Amino acid sequence: MSRTPMPRGLLLGATIITGLSCATALAQVPPADQPPGTGNATVPPAQPTPPADAFSAPSPNGPQAPGVNAANIPDGPPAEPSEATPMVEQVVANPAHDDWPGYARDDRATRYSPLDQITPANISHLKRAFIYHTGSKPGPGQVNKWAAETTPIKVGDGMYMCSALNDMMRIDPATGKEVWHFHANEKYESIPYTAACKAVVYYTSSTVPEGEHCHHRILEATLDERLIEVDSEDGKVCEGFGWHGMVNLMKGMGESVPGFVAETAPPPIVNGAIITNQEILDGQRRWAPSGVIRGYDAETGRFLWAWDVNRPHEHGEPKEGEHYSRGTPNSWAAMIGDNALGLVYVPTGNSAADYYSAMRSPEENKVSSAVVAIDVKTGEPRWVFQTVHKDVWDYDIGSQPTLMDFTKPDGSSVPALIMPTKRGQTFVLDRRTGEPVLPVEERPAPSPGMVPGDPRAPTQPWSVGMPRLGFAPLKEADMWGMSPIDQLYCRLKYRRAHYVGEFTPPSIDKPWLEYPGYNGGSDWGSVAYDEKTGILIANWNNTPMYDQLVSRKKADQLGLMPVDDPNYKPGGGGAEGAGAMAETPYGIVVSPFWDEYTGMMCNRPPYGMITAIDMHTQKVLWQHPLGSARANGPFGLPTHLPLTIGTPNNGGPVITAGGLIFVAATTDNMIHAFDIHTGREVWNDVLPGGGQATPMTYEYKGKQYVAIMAGGHHFMMTPVTDDLVVYALDNVN
Amino acid sequence: MSAFVTPQTPAGWATLGLAVIIILLGLPLLYMGAELAFIGGSWYYVIVGLAVTVAGLLMAMGRVAGGLLYLAAVAFTWLWALWEVGLDGWGLLPRVFGPTLLALGVLACLPVLKRAEAARSTLVREVA
Repeated sequence: MSRTPMPRGLLLGATIITGLSCATALAQVPPADQPPGTGNATVPPAQPTPPADAFSAPSPNGPQAPGVNAANIPDGPPAEPSEATPMVEQVVANPAHDDWPGYARDDRATRYSPLDQITPANISHLKRAFIYHTGSKPGPGQVNKWAAETTPIKVGDGMYMCSALNDMMRIDPATGKEVWHFHANEKYESIPYTAACKAVVYYTSSTVPEGEHCHHRILEATLDERLIEVDSEDGKVCEGFGWHGMVNLMKGMGESVPGFVAETAPPPIVNGAIITNQEILDGQRRWAPSGVIRGYDAETGRFLWAWDVNRPHEHGEPKEGEHYSRGTPNSWAAMIGDNALGLVYVPTGNSAADYYSAMRSPEENKVSSAVVAIDVKTGEPRWVFQTVHKDVWDYDIGSQPTLMDFTKPDGSSVPALIMPTKRGQTFVLDRRTGEPVLPVEERPAPSPGMVPGDPRAPTQPWSVGMPRLGFAPLKEADMWGMSPIDQLYCRLKYRRAHYVGEFTPPSIDKPWLEYPGYNGGSDWGSVAYDEKTGILIANWNNTPMYDQLVSRKKADQLGLMPVDDPNYKPGGGGAEGAGAMAETPYGIVVSPFWDEYTGMMCNRPPYGMITAIDMHTQKVLWQHPLGSARANGPFGLPTHLPLTIGTPNNGGPVITAGGLIFVAATTDNMIHAFDIHTGREVWNDVLPGGGQATPMTYEYKGKQYVAIMAGGHHFMMTPVTDDLVVYALDNVN
Repeated sequence: MSAFVTPQTPAGWATLGLAVIIILLGLPLLYMGAELAFIGGSWYYVIVGLAVTVAGLLMAMGRVAGGLLYLAAVAFTWLWALWEVGLDGWGLLPRVFGPTLLALGVLACLPVLKRAEAARSTLVREVA
């Protein structure tokens, strides 16, 4: 909110008047990363272009670049499938009252705590107890790729967490004093799109007796593709796990470079099997490394099985000189296990080259942007539920599924799974079969689309039984700005683009509007669920994108190249911006749907919302904008206005039995507390950095604490710090 | 002789400055508004862009009609904005906030324009 709209209006006016002499000046010299505009996505044959397609794909069987297996873990021969060592019950199955023993507290991913010391009545006494520094933030000269996204866990006397670069720490829950610090020695080059570590995993061994080293272990999966297990008491590696406590997850992945493949989510342990997925950098090339899902023995780190989409019946490691099938849908969200059914629920993303689907196999088309239930004994998929057919919108699933028992109208109970999506459609599925518990309709979608030889799916699934975490399709009158001029500019952008609703097919001749957008709806923050009251809390985004496919020559001209091109420079195109999509006919230019001169979104606020849904009736209890305008404004200037405008937000909510919701996530760099019954904001605090993480709460020696990683987020443009901020009531001893 | 008169007072200069600002804001509305109307969007911007540009030119020439035309455009803007978004605060903000601020300035300049017009008619009489 500018209190002085005039100078800005003038500046914009002057810019535009300067451009008057050239009829399409605005479209021809866009700032970097803007779609090239109508008729500009191709290069006329006569026009000279840079040396043709600088990228010649390396052989997928070629050696991995130096630094891919940075810890030099010896691989050994390819392993056959095997079964996990039987597991004892883990702490996440029945968390102690005071604890937060897993990323989402329990093995149902409820993000619900039974703690009730802090209530709406006494929350004004909630003050900072301590700040712990993880020690990981950008060094001098390093492009900022940080967004720690970390949620600590707390078991008994220990609080455990990882830093953005995968160091693991145990700290004292009352003081934040460091008990031990495990150095992962991770290299800057290994950072993919984002340096993040969402959480560590607490594992209790079934073979090492109580009292011995590595009976209780802390497990993490790293950005440089390792599994590491350390002892919970001293932070020293578990020698009985893998090679000196580590497993190399790049084994069998074929050609790669550092930062192409990474793991940021905590791997679930289901019936003794650690399940791994991995984030493959988006938009690079069609034959990017595989999205294979694998199981490893939690006791020993031994390989158990692989589920590899284009080798569906081979569950062993690839033979010497072979590799997992490339370009298959990658899953980067936090997964969730189900010990009773012996399944792991994998939220999948897209095949590589997100915006072009003509080169995908039928097997890939069945399992992309879906929930896949895999048998943790064999690696065989048991069922698949797809949330987008032939996704070319980057609607990969970022959220973790939450498990619940759904009571049907006839009184019977169904083991169910709640799957929020970036589309804002929330699917509720039977965990045994993948059948929808609440009605899902296949509705016609624009087809065949605009790209030759790449027809769109004729229908798409809509979860009509659940309230939508989103708004109606955009209209021209929804365009916004600070003045009539920038509003007009956005109306022009709207009219210059293709837009026929949520499934507007990608186009080359002019940009298209992608809405809700790849950062829309529910992302990795996921949802919180109170099983006692049936209240579901979701915070979500309303941020459209402005995209355009460009011809290969144009992509070369724009300098788009994949991460494993020898000429690639860090920061030169990544997961969330323009991408080369090498080995396909097109590159992709993606930008927020904004006024690139003021940096303000083109659609009207709110850009972020929080919603409470009663899962018994599937009705919205309350819903309102989330996040204030204090740290945002035109030209990236903070307005310091306490207006709740609703900002983009990344990071999940937490529910407590005290009747509170804690959520940070917003770009106003605040942590907020809401009364769960009314939705009224009862408390907030300004964090030292962006709160793009899910908070957690625990009790220790009679005192309830709330912890939030204020690690910031480079893409959300919030300040990056290494501060874990922990709060407690100042009137409790 | 030129239709534009060199201002003689600070108030006169301020009025001319405001007129220039209004022209600078009117031209992009006119130009981009024409494209918007041409590709199927709202006609509001091209109409108001034209009115505002002409209003600014008339004000620069020291004509009361210029100020009145701008005020009329803002009045029309209010009606249009209420029609398009109703009483929605966030929706009204870009549509009416800046133009209304400027309208206050124009209102303050009306006496100056009146004096300029009176002076010019005296001048014309004397020359005649």
